[in-house]
Amino acid sequence: MRMARPTPGRAVTIVVMVALVAMTFGCSKKSDPIPASGSMQPAQASIYAVNYPLSYFAKRMAPANARVVFPVPPGVDPAFWKPSASAALEFQSASLILLNGAGYARWTSYATLPQARLVVTADGCRDTYLRTEQSIRHQHGPEGAHAHSELAFTTWLDLQLAACQASRVRDALVAQMPEAKDSVALGFETLERDLLDLDDRLRSLGKALGNQPLLASHPVYQYLADAYGISIQSLHLEPDQELGDDDWKEVDAMLEQDRAIWMLWEAPPLTATEARLRERGVTTIVFDPAGQSPAEGDFLSVMSANVARLECATGVKPCR
Amino acid sequence: MRDSIYLAWRYLRHHRTKTLLLVLSLSVFLGLPLIMRAMSRATQQSLLSRAEATPLLLGKKGSSLDLVVEALYFQLKGAEPITKADVDGLQAMDLALGIPIRTGLMARGFPLVGTSLDYFPFRKLRMTEGRGLAMMGECILGAEAAEALGLGPGDALLTSPSTLFDLAGVYPLKLHVVGILEPSFGPDDEAVFVDLRTAWVAEGMGHGHQDLSSAGPDVVLKRKEGTVTANAKLIQYNEITEANIESFHFHGDPSSYPVSAAIVVPHDEKSGVLLRGRFVDAETRQLVRPAQVVDSLNKQIFRFERILEIVVWTVGLATAVMFVLVMVLSWRLRAEELRTMTRLGCSRWKAAQIMGSEIALMVGASVLIAGVFGIVMAQYGETWLQTLILRGS
Repeated sequence: MRMARPTPGRAVTIVVMVALVAMTFGCSKKSDPIPASGSMQPAQASIYAVNYPLSYFAKRMAPANARVVFPVPPGVDPAFWKPSASAALEFQSASLILLNGAGYARWTSYATLPQARLVVTADGCRDTYLRTEQSIRHQHGPEGAHAHSELAFTTWLDLQLAACQASRVRDALVAQMPEAKDSVALGFETLERDLLDLDDRLRSLGKALGNQPLLASHPVYQYLADAYGISIQSLHLEPDQELGDDDWKEVDAMLEQDRAIWMLWEAPPLTATEARLRERGVTTIVFDPAGQSPAEGDFLSVMSANVARLECATGVKPCR
Repeated sequence: MRDSIYLAWRYLRHHRTKTLLLVLSLSVFLGLPLIMRAMSRATQQSLLSRAEATPLLLGKKGSSLDLVVEALYFQLKGAEPITKADVDGLQAMDLALGIPIRTGLMARGFPLVGTSLDYFPFRKLRMTEGRGLAMMGECILGAEAAEALGLGPGDALLTSPSTLFDLAGVYPLKLHVVGILEPSFGPDDEAVFVDLRTAWVAEGMGHGHQDLSSAGPDVVLKRKEGTVTANAKLIQYNEITEANIESFHFHGDPSSYPVSAAIVVPHDEKSGVLLRGRFVDAETRQLVRPAQVVDSLNKQIFRFERILEIVVWTVGLATAVMFVLVMVLSWRLRAEELRTMTRLGCSRWKAAQIMGSEIALMVGASVLIAGVFGIVMAQYGETWLQTLILRGS
């Protein structure tokens, strides 16, 4: 009797599958990659700054192959800039992010930034930051009263503080690019000398002014006042806007109280404003805080011009 | 031989029920130890590889296992938190990179993990869709979480309330999904990643509300000497948007805020040794090597596995005896059939071949079933076993 052919194909399949099972058990499973360290820096050094003074300091010291970026568009106050998500992502790609400190550029408190690459330049340069006078204490819920108190943040108007911030930038640059240590140190030396020269001039000016008060169009001169012993009372006036009746009432009240004869403006005020101030015996002095890139010159030339205008108007030095 | 196999095959097919029962019981006998070993090895390897990829872990002094389980596998064990200041202090030593990890909340059943940007390159996690975290209030999802929730960039995800019946507690925060991670075949796949500050806001440590300086009398209870007291009508935001993001703030010093643990990545071996030395006598903090902790956990698993293996082999032996008994009884019942085969001219050797083939086919089928089941369990049962081990540890 001839038997029907068994199913050899199936038998072979079974054997192969059994072999596969055995091989599978013999093999080890996937393994996660083990990173060596936290080396997450981009290849080319790129230094991002939140304001113009810091980008200027970095440019003065950084080697030629480093890219210093100040991405705030012209005409926008860097202190109140609100970056888009893509702009924040661009900051994340930086080798070094220079922050000012004192709550400057509030966006840095809610954007996601790489903590290890942040350098808060003004931190540790003073015992405490100065405060503005507009914080409102409020209470809701069981937490008790609290205030979103605002810190004064135009720190670089104290030129010694600016030099200290520059030294922090120097340290960060050296840590980032140790091979450029000498050139960075050299850049810092000249920058520090320039800043301290201006500081000397402002110190002499402060002494010459004595208790003579100044008005300021905006509360941005706290560090200037504090460092050089100048009495400055601030208002909230915009140089490019016409002043309303309420504004003038406020100016008059201030003048009555302080008898100021000079008023600091961040930018030249409107001609009408200047004329009405002159009628009141007040001379306008432009003192640009230089938080944003100037249309002409650089940080040092802008600050030098500020000091020269102040010296000229107050008669400390002859006008050029 | 082929003829014998064919006859054996036909016989087994004819007695399907008996064959099926025998094959299944044999499969269990052969499969259980294989499955157990495969799953256990896969789980141990998976646990260990993640732990080995994490050089050091900083946490509050206490159970090192709880710390590792919480920080590496995002299983909530209630390890005591350290503070952000600890992470900053570690960073200030300039010996290592500190990556904070904040766990504790869930978002629709998936762990919410607050961390820093350094976490993603450290774990070599890449985006498959969307972009990385850029602003507070955003989240990125692990591959499995995204698939299970059916979410993608542009969608929103609510955090789960920490206390369901506490009406005065923290309300869920609506997170904006901005990206999905590539599968990494680990706990990261099931996580919802947010910025550390977003995690704190979700926990109620930070909040945003309408501007009180311009709030109307229906919201303000009293204004006195620069202090504004608001009533419960004050609108607190449960979503961080471009419009209200600047109103979000934290009360108190954020450096005192909790961090579950910090992954510590020393700059080099020497830095690692120096760091470990600095924490040897720390009273309230511990710096652990996750690989050591998981290795000790694996040893415990291995010990348990050995005990279980003895039990399984005992049961297996009983199954084998039963199998032999069934076969012997079956042959006795088939005595008439064998005699008929002999009368037809079949030799005793051929009959033995047919019987042997029957056994071989059944054993082969059992091995195959056990093997396939073992592979499936090693592949997909790992996560289940891992969860079981970590939750039970």
